[in-house]
Amino acid sequence: MAEAILVPQVGQDLTEAKVVALHVKVGDQVKKGDVVAEVESEKASFEVEAFSAGTVTHVAYKLGDMATVLQPLLFVGEAGEIAGAQSAASTGSGTPVSPVAPSERQASLGSFERHRSSPLARRLASSNGLDISRMNGSGPHGAVVLKDIEALLTSSGAANKAKGQTSLAFRSLRDGTGTPVIFMHGFGAELVAWRPFVEHLGIANQKTGVDLPGHGASPDSGVEDFDDLVETVAAALIMAGHTNLHLVGHSLGAAIAAALAVRDGFRVQSLSLIAPAGLGPKINGDFIAGFLSAETEAALKAWMRILVHRSSDLPQAMVRATLVARQEIGIAAAHGRIAAAVFSGSTQLFSIRDALDKYQGPCRIIVGRQDAIIPPEYADAVPDCIAVHRLSGVGHLPQLESAALVARLVSETVRAAG
Amino acid sequence: MREIMYREALREALDEEMQRDPNVFVIGEGIAERGGSYKVTEGLLAKYGPKRIRDTPIAEAGMIGVGVGAAIAGARPIVEILYVDFAMLGMDMIVNQAAKFRLMTGGEGRVPFVLRTQGGAGGGVAAQHSQSLEALFYHIPGLKVVMPSVPADAKGLLKYALRQDDPVMFLEHKHLYMTKGPVPGGEHIVEFGKADIKRAGKDVTIIAWSNMIPRSLEAAESLAAEGIEAEVVDPRTLVPLDEETILTSVAKTHRVVIVQEAVRRGGVASDIASIIQEKAFYELDAPIEIVAGLNVPIPFNLELEKASVPQKSDIIAAVKRSLYVPSYAMAAE
Repeated sequence: MAEAILVPQVGQDLTEAKVVALHVKVGDQVKKGDVVAEVESEKASFEVEAFSAGTVTHVAYKLGDMATVLQPLLFVGEAGEIAGAQSAASTGSGTPVSPVAPSERQASLGSFERHRSSPLARRLASSNGLDISRMNGSGPHGAVVLKDIEALLTSSGAANKAKGQTSLAFRSLRDGTGTPVIFMHGFGAELVAWRPFVEHLGIANQKTGVDLPGHGASPDSGVEDFDDLVETVAAALIMAGHTNLHLVGHSLGAAIAAALAVRDGFRVQSLSLIAPAGLGPKINGDFIAGFLSAETEAALKAWMRILVHRSSDLPQAMVRATLVARQEIGIAAAHGRIAAAVFSGSTQLFSIRDALDKYQGPCRIIVGRQDAIIPPEYADAVPDCIAVHRLSGVGHLPQLESAALVARLVSETVRAAG
Repeated sequence: MREIMYREALREALDEEMQRDPNVFVIGEGIAERGGSYKVTEGLLAKYGPKRIRDTPIAEAGMIGVGVGAAIAGARPIVEILYVDFAMLGMDMIVNQAAKFRLMTGGEGRVPFVLRTQGGAGGGVAAQHSQSLEALFYHIPGLKVVMPSVPADAKGLLKYALRQDDPVMFLEHKHLYMTKGPVPGGEHIVEFGKADIKRAGKDVTIIAWSNMIPRSLEAAESLAAEGIEAEVVDPRTLVPLDEETILTSVAKTHRVVIVQEAVRRGGVASDIASIIQEKAFYELDAPIEIVAGLNVPIPFNLELEKASVPQKSDIIAAVKRSLYVPSYAMAAE
């Protein structure tokens, strides 16, 4: 089947990018890493690369079009698919069609399922200005009941008092139904980094990303240590109504996910940890220092190459996006403060081992055997009930370097929760 | 305060009111020399004589007719019917005459008639001696329906019944006559339409009456041991119903369990539930639970009798469902 190459996210909160160059046309052969197009926002231009080899079967936009970010720009597949892809892609009178798996489409048709909440919960939510329409409560079938509203009011009240500001940025990565899957990115990244990965997932659940404190569109909230970081994320999740959820985390985000999985007030249905931090003390301190201090694209690229095993797996767009994010006021400083709160040189100042001992739900750990940031051997000594997958030829970004397999493993973990 | 039995409290009320008002008289089967099947009228014959404490033949239609007629004529009769089941023989007099007379005479005619009787399951007396029929009277405009659960209420409510001018269905419970409780001596009046909070609590409101009060209190004690504080509200009179006390409690606890011994279908519990959902919908955090008798005639077999009416464990389970205690799944699911 033809795979979509998406219009890249060209910056925080931008929804459109202009197609300024198209280097391929339908029928052209491309190989992995080829630059197929170029798009630009007001801030920067991005080269769009092919993720896999094949034939261009459809191009959704013309040169000069304003393209919607994270929608398919073009499709790459087998030469024989050209006609089919074209007819499929042209159904929406010019609107790009995203390749939705049939099962997922079916599920979203059933999304008119009535939202459940008790009359009292609705009254209190309305009088306190809370939106519970997406909240998954602790009552039957996820009904929001008094207890959930009280928890929300207590923690948001207490947390607000303590921090003054706890709201973090949440954004839907793909709309769906049922218990939401919340994605937590790693240090230095942001929620949009999950977009290409979630396209591979074979589950219908709502998929939502969060920008961790000091990352993306979220303030650093004066986080002082790892526990503080976890509490800040917890408060934001409760305020957003996400107390019954699946968690998928990468690196530092995976460590936060593990801590939340055993924290009171949350029902974490499953836990997928990709290259998790917190399994042992060591981390590549040179990388953190280098990454934080790199100011040019070339310098950043040099450090970010260490994240992956094959440097060709590192998309130029990712380096660009990181650089663009750095230019946002305060982001570089915020990254530095978060790093100082949780790492000291080459040491991780926190552990998730107790949390993993306690967690009762389905849990998988996925690490790359060639991870140069966190020693993959740390995954050898986790509780026996946790499935550990060691991917060969993969570094610290399995969700990028082996997206299809990692997506399959994450989907299986989510489904295992029933 | 001194403790006396429910039946002694009723006797005290009769005694005090007969002394106060010479128009009060009692008729019924075996109530005079025998002192009544449940000994409520014991000793009153000697004190007030056969004109005011009078035995009747086994003819409930006739007795009720005499009582309603005497009330219309200005006396204050108390007709004691051995089992509420037998009051059915006098339903025309109760429903079509006593309940309607005041309205149909433009308020000039009054019917100060008290029908004292007892109902409820207990002791294997089978289908025709075990019913809880309050819903039949509750349904008829013009009748007051009184269901005391403790000795003090029995006394105070009966005294009040004998001082007002409309027909009263005074429904006792066969299981309660021997129960004891503190009762004020002398003048002790409980007005109609004033519910009593038998136990205060913050987590759930249990509304119950008659014999379901002691059972609900036992359930509340067990729940308290698990950290659940139930408030037990006794309306005491179903007509008039103290909606204010009920709604205030609901606004405090946000969860409601209504317990009635009578069969579920067409019961008073359903009507109270409809009042609550209408007037306090946005106070509710869970569906209103009703714990009621099965829709069956009460069986003779003691085990089956027990299975037919609410037990303590049924009340506890309903409370836990209303609190979303895990493993107590909603009945509706």
